[in-house]
Parts: sequence; C-alpha cells; structure tokens
Amino acid sequence: MSTGEALARAAQATQVEIPQEARDKARELGWEDGLIELALAKGHSLQVIWQALRAGVDGDRAKEFLQAGQAAIPRDLSWMNVPTEWGIRARPKDPAMGLTIADLMIGTYGDVPDVWTNRSEIARGSFPNPIVEDMGYTIFEKALVWADCCIPLYEEAIRDRWVSATDLNWNSLEPLPHDIERAVCQFLTEQSERAYFTGALWSGWLPEISYGFLELKLFLSTIIYDLARHSEAFRKRALANGGGLGLQAPTDFSRVAKEARSFPELAAILFVQDSMLYTLFSHGDEFAQNELERDLYRFVARDRKRMLDYHIERMKHMLFKLPDRRDEQNLYFNKAESRMGKEWLDPAVSEPLAILLGRGVDHIDEGRRKLRDLRKLQVDNYLADLQKATFVRKHINGRLEQAAQA
Amino acid sequence: MAANPATEATLDLSWLDLYDDATSAEPGKKGLTLKEINLGRYADSARGAGDMTYRMRGAIPRPGAQRFGPNYQSKADVWAENCLMLYEEATQRQWSSARDIPWDTLEPLPDELERAMCQLATMLTEVEFIAGDVPGQWMPFVSAQDFEAGLFLMTQIMDEARHTDVFRKRALANGGGLLAQGAGLGLRTLIEARDFTEMSVLMHVQAEGFVQSMFRMGELIGQTEADKRIFRMSAQDESRHLAFGVMHLKYVLDTEPERREEIHHYLDKAEGDAAGGGSGDVTFPPVFEALCILLGGGVDKFDEGLQKFLLLRKRQINEYVHRLTVAGLGDRRQRLGPLMAQFLDPA
Ligand SMILES: [Fe+2]
Ligand SMILES: [Fe+2]
Repeated sequence: MSTGEALARAAQATQVEIPQEARDKARELGWEDGLIELALAKGHSLQVIWQALRAGVDGDRAKEFLQAGQAAIPRDLSWMNVPTEWGIRARPKDPAMGLTIADLMIGTYGDVPDVWTNRSEIARGSFPNPIVEDMGYTIFEKALVWADCCIPLYEEAIRDRWVSATDLNWNSLEPLPHDIERAVCQFLTEQSERAYFTGALWSGWLPEISYGFLELKLFLSTIIYDLARHSEAFRKRALANGGGLGLQAPTDFSRVAKEARSFPELAAILFVQDSMLYTLFSHGDEFAQNELERDLYRFVARDRKRMLDYHIERMKHMLFKLPDRRDEQNLYFNKAESRMGKEWLDPAVSEPLAILLGRGVDHIDEGRRKLRDLRKLQVDNYLADLQKATFVRKHINGRLEQAAQA
Repeated sequence: MAANPATEATLDLSWLDLYDDATSAEPGKKGLTLKEINLGRYADSARGAGDMTYRMRGAIPRPGAQRFGPNYQSKADVWAENCLMLYEEATQRQWSSARDIPWDTLEPLPDELERAMCQLATMLTEVEFIAGDVPGQWMPFVSAQDFEAGLFLMTQIMDEARHTDVFRKRALANGGGLLAQGAGLGLRTLIEARDFTEMSVLMHVQAEGFVQSMFRMGELIGQTEADKRIFRMSAQDESRHLAFGVMHLKYVLDTEPERREEIHHYLDKAEGDAAGGGSGDVTFPPVFEALCILLGGGVDKFDEGLQKFLLLRKRQINEYVHRLTVAGLGDRRQRLGPLMAQFLDPA
C-alpha cells in the first residue's frame, strides 16, 4: 500500500478534521460544498487535497478530476519557466579558494542595485512573487552599507578560521608574577566583554538589511562569529593561569555604539574602535607575556584586519556616493573619540596595559612610556585609516588627544 | 608588591586585587573548551542576578556602569544545558561551501531535474537567509550572564550564512539559475516572535526540524554527489540548531512548568493559522512540485515522487513530535493541527 493510500485509509478510519484554512481556500476557488468530503471519501488524502487547493485548482476542474478518479493535483510547473537568467555555470577563478561567492557575481546575479526595492526575503535574482508580506527590512540603499571587499573577505574569513580550544597551546602556559597575571586578566576581562557586546550589536542589525546586499550580510556573519571566538578565547585565557575575571569594561564607548540610530552612524562609531583595536592587537607581541598570548593576539589581529578593511572601503564608497554626508561623519567620530578618550584614562584600562608593556608594576614608568607610544600609534593609524577612506579629520577630539598623551 | 616610589602617587591599581582566588582551568581531551572554564564562581550554576549591562558572568560589577536597555534577566529565558558543548562543536565543525563541496563532480542533468533542483535551492537560500536574521534579532537580549547561549547563536548566524551561500552556489553552478521566489513559507512567524522561547520553539524545533528531516532525505533528493554532500553537511549544522532548541524547551519546561500552555499557544498558532505546513513550508506549490520531481526522478515519475513526498511529510511530522516529546511536550501529539495530524504514527 502506498503512503498516499495509507493516509487516505487513515483519513477514512478516523473522522478527518478539515482545517478551516482549507475550507476558506475551497470557497475562494469555487468548490461546491461537500467537495472536500467527497474527495476524502473517494480515497484522496487530506494532504493531496490541500496541495490541489494550494495549486489553485478551481471548483469545476476539481469536480472533473474527481469524476475521472484522479488525484486533483495538476502539474503546474510554471515555475520552471519564470524569466530569470538561466544557463549559469559558475566556476572557481582561483582553484585554491574553491567556488567562492565572488564566482557567483555573474550576469544579472552579480548586479547589486543602488536601491533595492523588494521588501520581502526574496533571494536576489529569483523571480518575485507579486503578493508577499513586508518583512520589515529598513536598509535598502547600497551606499549606506556596501563595500565590494565584503565579497572576497567573506571567503577569506572562512579560510582563516581558528579554534580557541585547540589552535592555542594551553599546555604551554606557565605561572606569571601576580601583578602581570592580574594585568593580563584585567585586560582580557575588558576585551572579552567588548567582543561579546560588539558581536551582539552587529547581530541585532542583521534583520534590518535587505536581501539586495546579501554578500554584505554574509560577511557580517563572519564578523559576528569572529567576535564570539574572541570573547571566549579571552575569557579562557583569563581563567587558565591562576587569575580570574576582573572589573567589567567601562561602558562609555559601547553605549555610544548602542545609541546609533542608523547603520552609517553605527559603522562610523565602530570604525574608531575597530581601527584602534587593530593597531593594538597587531602590536600584541609587545604586551604578550608568552607564546600563547602572542598566537592569540595574532589570530585576533588577522580577523580584525578584515573588519577594518570593510570599514575603510564602506566609508570611502559612502562618501563618494553621498558627498553631502561627509561633514556629518565628524559628529559621530567626535562622539566616539571622546568616549574612547575617557576610557583610555580609566585606570582599569590603562594600568594593565602599562604593566604588561613594562613587564611589571616595578617598571610602570617604562610601561607608561611604551603605552604613550602605542596610543600615539593607534591615533596616527586611525587618522591614516580615515584618510584611506578619503576622510580628512582636521582635529581629533581633545579628550582623546589628552588621553593619548597621558 | 613593591611599588615604584616615584609613581606611587599616580597609580590607582584598585582593579588589581578585587578578588583573592586563583583560577587555573586545565585543558581536557578536546582542548580548553567552555566546559573546562565553567568552574567555581564562573560557572553557569553560580550565575547571580543579571544586570542590564554586558558584564560577563563572573566579572566584577563596575560602579557607574550604564544600562544598555532591557535584556533577559532570568537564565531560563535563553538557556540550554548543551550550549557549551554545541558552541565548541560548531567551532570544530565549520566547513567551507567553497572547498568542502565537490563542485567538480557536478554533471549536466536533464533540464527538468536541474530546474527542480534550482527551484529547491531558490527556496532554501531564502529560508536560510531568515534563519540568520532571527537569532540576530535576539542576540542583544541575551545577557552576558548566559553568554554561552549567545556564543552558540553567533555560531548559528555563521552556519546560516554558509547555508544561504551554499544553496545559492548550487543554483548557479550547474547551468541553471534561481527560479521562483517562495511565498507563504511560514517565515514571517519566526521574525514575528516576541519572546526568545517562542522564537526558539518555532525556529529551532519546528522550522529547522522540518528542514532537517528534509536534509536527511538528501540522498534521495540530491541528483549528484555534490548535492548529496550539501545536504549532509548542512544537516550536520542543523542538528546543532535543533539540539539547542530541544534542550532550551526542556530547560524551560523543567524550570518554569507554568509556561507549558503558553508554549502550546504558540504552536497552536503556527500549526493551525498558517497554511498548516509550519515554518519552512514545503507545501508551497513550486517547492512541492520540485520535490516530487526530484524524489521521483523526473516529471514523468511525478506520482512516484508524490508518494515519497508524502513519506517526507510523514517523517517531518513524526520527528517533530518526537523532538517535542524529548523536550517534555509529548502532549502536543493530542493537539497537532489537522494537516500535520494526518501523518502522525500511533504513539
Ligand atoms: Fe540552516
Ligand atoms: Fe539552522
């Protein structure tokens, strides 16, 4: 006995409840009263009747089918011939990378529109259904979010993935002097929280972005995943060598990022943090106390480079497309710099780094000198990154300037 | 410690001795995983009251910390006992749609089969897109007191990005293209959820459960080695998402049994009000037809395909009820909507 027959018998054996949805649909299609019951009595399963209703079989055709003893499901197959671009055979351009999303940017499938108008979750390039609910996306303008580099960076992020549990040599850790261990732990308590927060923040913006900018959303997903790993890797290190978690991170910078009212504002604010943190972690060798930390900071810096590349190119693209929004960016940079300056002056932020750079509280003066150099480099690199994005920031916020020199 | 007299006055160091215990987690067989650092006062079992900041569990509260807006204050709202393990498994089992699928084994298929596969891939790349947005929507509300649940959701976002991309790749890799947009796939209900548990039971348990049951029939649906592998690899990821959902539901029912009726209420809606196919509905005509063609092996074998499609639905429904039973919601069996109940095997 086939599954269809079995279902139909089961339907007859038990009094089948006919869903109201099915009755409504049948009425809409002009099915006579009792036709569903008749179909059931003739041995058709509820599922098959439902498929006929979904396929839009009208009352007359349904009756015809039933009289001929057939299952009332026509082969519609009109989806086979919808006018989308057909005959696409994407091939890897770089065999070492495999079949990448860059390889899919062919024909109309590679068109990323300046303005995306479809409000549903339609896959870009598929044939739109004319009647669909609005899914509530709010970002439809390419200039606000897009950077071409998100296409290669997505696949690079996947290629370069690492695993904190097994790619770091946890057995290599050796006890450190009390002040140094506590400094590592305080620094990483702060960074673990920042990474978790920023991952959650980016995540919350995903449902805002429409399908027109699919590749960007894919790339942001890798950023979110990277930040998850940074958060747990930092926590693991803090709990692995005789220390613990210290004081939670200051909230000034994260709050201003959380307060962003639009994607460009969010991205401008995070530009500041992501540039500064890239410089910091790419100089991780200077404050790492052992091989494990050196490896960890190197992994993190490599991930953070991708984030920074995205920020620079997005900003550049946006300023080119929307030149009248250039001056507005100063407002976001200024806020972000001010909050960052405040946090740099926080003893729980600056002292651990000074201790690590100087190799102990006893060498705090040397540590502070080195931290000043590092802070200056962070600011210089940040301004250079802005310049790469064609943005010249004439005066950085005074509070950040002071903090960099403290 | 001996402070340097020259700088003593300007040193604060108040952060340095805020605690006096020493924690030294040791790596286990699988390296240093979240399980090994889930110890002492840092463990999820030692979770204190939350706050509305992003302070990580076990970190010392900062006086003056600003709030970030509401997040879930109670563990049961977001927790699943397996989330530590699932997070680590996710990091170990990431794969690459670019390199782990044998794209070079794709061969030209008869036109109707290629079209059917492309239609299915069009629907799936759409479904997977929403599957990334939905956990994204809830991330800001997952307190860092329960950060492992948040970490897990961030791996899910990554997994779903990969699924979105692998089905797009499949549609564009073998002489085809994308076809008709899905509609009425029951995806709005996922983004409409106003509570984490509502979202999780609808997405992780129901929608991803249905998708998983279909992926597990990938050997029958896939026409090429590459297709079959896509389904296998994706199924591996979906089993984590499902496992989270089942264990979250179990945690809620175990610790807050008073929520049982509320959860039934969400399922009554999802099984009854919508087209009855649940979220990720495969009864949408183009998907239904494409599946019948793929399962049968051609348009001329549509009726054979239909029988297998009915088997697929049967499998979806019975596995769904089984998962709910594992989570402690076995009484769902008596309340299933009629379009699902028709497939239910006797208990
Ligand atoms: Fe998925
Ligand atoms: Fe999933």
